[in-house]
This record gives sequence, C-alpha cells and structure tokens, in this order.
Amino acid sequence: MEKGSIFMREFDLSSDVYSLFLEAFKDKNPLHTDDSFAQSKGFEMRVMHGNILNGFISYFIGECLPTKNVIIQKQEIQFHLPVYVNSKLKFEAKIEEFYESVNSYEFKFYFENENRKKVAKGKIQIGILK
Amino acid sequence: MEKTQILSEINEIFKDVLDNDEILINEATKASDIDEWDSLSHIQLVVAIEKYFKIKFSSSEIREWKDVGEMIKSIQSK
Repeated sequence: MEKGSIFMREFDLSSDVYSLFLEAFKDKNPLHTDDSFAQSKGFEMRVMHGNILNGFISYFIGECLPTKNVIIQKQEIQFHLPVYVNSKLKFEAKIEEFYESVNSYEFKFYFENENRKKVAKGKIQIGILK
Repeated sequence: MEKTQILSEINEIFKDVLDNDEILINEATKASDIDEWDSLSHIQLVVAIEKYFKIKFSSSEIREWKDVGEMIKSIQSK
C-alpha cells in the first residue's frame, strides 16, 4: 500500500442486501420502500439507502486491503445520484496520502453505476493497527 | 514563522478538529488539559496540522511531544 495505489471492486446491490439492511436497521421511509412515493418525488423507483454503500466500504476496508490490521478513523461520503435495487456498482479507491507520523492512510473513493456515472464519492482515513 | 503565529493557527485547527470553539491553547497545554484531546483526536490533529502547514512529521518526532510548545518547535523546524 503506497500513495497512488488504486483498488477496485464491484458490488452488487441485490435485493438480498437491501432486504437485510431493511431488516437490520428498520429504516422503512417510503422513499426506500414505496415505488409510488419515490416516483412522486421524481425518482424511477424506491431509492436504496445511501448507507448501504457504507457497508460496502466497510467490507472493502476490512476484507480487501493487503492487511487486516486496519481500523477506520474517519469517513466522509457525498451522495450524487440515486441507486436502485439490483444495481451493479463499480467502486474505486485511491490512496491519496500516507501519514507516517500516525500510520494512517487517506483514500479517495467513488462508486459508479452501470452508466459510468458517479453515484457517490468521498474520503476514508484508516489507521494501521500495530 | 513566529511561535505566536503558529500558536494562533494551530489553535484554530484544535477548535475545528476537537469541535470546541472555546479552546485556547498555549505552549504549556497538554493533552490532559483538554477533554476532547484523546488518542484518536490526536491522530486527527496531527493529520490536520500536516495538511495545513504542508509538512510531514515522523512517528518518532511526534512521540517526543509533551505539550503544544514541542509541537510548535517541530513545525518551526520544517
């Protein structure tokens, strides 16, 4: 892992992931559960919870890096476009900076939909556990 | 850069990172003097200071810091 390293993953926001998120966190706001309501607000159908993407980020940090000795110290995310159920998302994260003083890496990341539009982007700072 | 100027600038960083507008640091201020200054916020302070001044500290360098005055000396040495 060094400054400039790029990591890529694909995530499937399947109906199972959506259902499990709903069951776990109970956010049944109609924007997320009612197609008609979502359409009345200008969306194609019910919009997936943005925080499902944070679950994918958690998986990326916890499972996809060359080391398991990691902890998330800080995270920022901006949502740009709605994501719908059964979307396939491309995730890319690049190491923007390494802070040797505190053994922390800063990543910039984004999620892209099938139409290659960025649906979310942000930054993650992780620490390397000793 | 003068000590007083650095102190004033890092005071703003402390306020922002520790999310406390009441913070007023001086050279003798230690982590134990500020409730919000714990080990995790210390990491964010170091990162914010490195970004702001566009400098890099080493891990051994920051281990030597006992108070804000030593932090300022490190910044001045860059």
